[in-house]
Amino acid sequence: MKFGLFYEISVPRPWTAETEKTVYDRCLEQVKLADELGFESVFAVEHHFLEEYSHCPAPELFLTACAMITKRIRVGHGIIVCVPEFNHPIKIAERTAVLDILSGGRLEVGTGRSATWTELGGFRANPDETKKTWDEFVRCLPQMWTQERYHYQGRSWSMPQRTIIPKPYQKPHPPMWVAVTSPGTEIDAAERGMGSLGLTFGGFKEQEQKVNNYRKIIRNCEPVGKFVNEKVATVNFLFCHNDDEVGVKTGLRLTGTFNYLASQLLAAREAYPTKSYPSLGLLPSLRQEASGPGDASGAPEGIAIGNPARIIKAIKAWESTGADQVNFLLNALETVPQEQVLNSLRLFAKEVMPHFQKSGDSATAAAGGR
Amino acid sequence: MPPRFGTLDLAKFAKSVSAIDGYKTEPLTLKGVQILELHMEIDDDPAIALLPATMHPAIPQYAIFNVLHAPNSEWGPFTIAEVRVAGRTGVRPRGFVLRSYIDNDDAAKALSSRWGFPVAKGDVNLRVLHDRIVGRVKLGGKTVYEIEEQDRDSIGGGDIQYIASMHLARNKQDDKLVLVQVDPEYVFSKAERGRPRVVALDHEAFGATAANLNVMSPIMACFTTADITLPKVRYICNPELPAMQGTTKVAA
Repeated sequence: MKFGLFYEISVPRPWTAETEKTVYDRCLEQVKLADELGFESVFAVEHHFLEEYSHCPAPELFLTACAMITKRIRVGHGIIVCVPEFNHPIKIAERTAVLDILSGGRLEVGTGRSATWTELGGFRANPDETKKTWDEFVRCLPQMWTQERYHYQGRSWSMPQRTIIPKPYQKPHPPMWVAVTSPGTEIDAAERGMGSLGLTFGGFKEQEQKVNNYRKIIRNCEPVGKFVNEKVATVNFLFCHNDDEVGVKTGLRLTGTFNYLASQLLAAREAYPTKSYPSLGLLPSLRQEASGPGDASGAPEGIAIGNPARIIKAIKAWESTGADQVNFLLNALETVPQEQVLNSLRLFAKEVMPHFQKSGDSATAAAGGR
Repeated sequence: MPPRFGTLDLAKFAKSVSAIDGYKTEPLTLKGVQILELHMEIDDDPAIALLPATMHPAIPQYAIFNVLHAPNSEWGPFTIAEVRVAGRTGVRPRGFVLRSYIDNDDAAKALSSRWGFPVAKGDVNLRVLHDRIVGRVKLGGKTVYEIEEQDRDSIGGGDIQYIASMHLARNKQDDKLVLVQVDPEYVFSKAERGRPRVVALDHEAFGATAANLNVMSPIMACFTTADITLPKVRYICNPELPAMQGTTKVAA
């Protein structure tokens, strides 16, 4: 089991130059500490126009900054929106290659397609098309990263023969992931030999079934990349404190704030009926689970808030579902003071991490082993 | 700092609300109802004045324009048109009803007294044409509202998600203003989606102004046929308080 951080970068009103900078600075300070403490990776979303909820429209810049102040932690897109109105595929190939070089081969490439009308409508993207363009992009990217000269004539985009440079530092290319939000997307990930980057979670049983299904299908996958990235990551909240009551209470404030903000977003499906978005996406499930029934402490089952013992128990349960990694959201609207976030990370690293054996190594995967 | 809240002038808006006879009404099912609904993005900042303090604006703000034709009901056939502004009460998506017009007096009386819908009498019409669907409201012979779905294309009923409505009403029992939530259930037999067009809109007829209900950008139009069940009133809100503080459950 490995542990990562997951950033939405949520900024409270009023949005002064200082508030935006302060939040970014704090995130970077957390990442620097996480690197020193042995966290595996830091993922950052790509979101646009999502007021207060996420001010992270340029994750490649944030992740570059992360890479520049750290030595070991891997930096991951969670995710790049693979829709032409948002990102041209050539630019994705180029930007990711540069980030991989600058980070010394520490890049993870998560892919997805956006789930809100706020964003899709903002870029005038057609929600009916996003699954198709995502599929096209993820098949093109490994070719662009590895072929000396590349040309393409496709459904949503095309290009004449050119040399796409530079190539990524990792050979043959960085590990690829799919954001898994809508039901069944883990199958899309498995069929393409990509990691399953869970951005939501159901109950433990449901998660176990999803993981089993993923592992079964990926055995016979036709990988879009040059190697199979068989990994399952899930997402959670984290607030760890020696005093369980304080940990749970603060953690609930964090989850409540995050989920309240998330509920304000305009899901693609709410505004624009389409079979392309069969569910409301990541947020309602996260919300539901994080506000679901818990024990007497009020902590919902499976949420990593409370004292180390409680968090170990929650993560052991996720580990037993077959997940390889848990990525943590640390704050929302700066609800938790920075010093408490840092102390929570320190305590987690000291008291919780030793209970989990590290498995595998992303560099091994990137080196090509199926 | 929480998300923004609406700034509706309650005293001014309350002049056009209906009086509801308490919250004891029984559910009602309407069969084979045709619904034309348009979603249009609206100018954000001014539109916040169209939402009560209970609600957060959607991001981006959008208005819901619809016309609904019920061919059979205990009051006979009726057609109703309404304009809503979408938002959130707490964490739940809701459309705040600005004003409705209906062509059947008995239905108007029942919908206002039993559910508190802000309905007024008008000449309301829904026409299904080969190439488009047209909904229209005339008042005194003048068209105050006309909406269209163009470029019709079939989709699955399961893809449709109508959001529940909230409307301001006056409770006859204590004369207080309340926000009433009505969350109909739909069983779809037909659904299509197309391009929306607001052909005519007299803003004042819907309790708005050209400034605060400024249609900016089309989202979609859909036309469905469904059986609709209007449920019991289950939740009401204090229109002066955020939903998390001012929501009351009045039925199971």
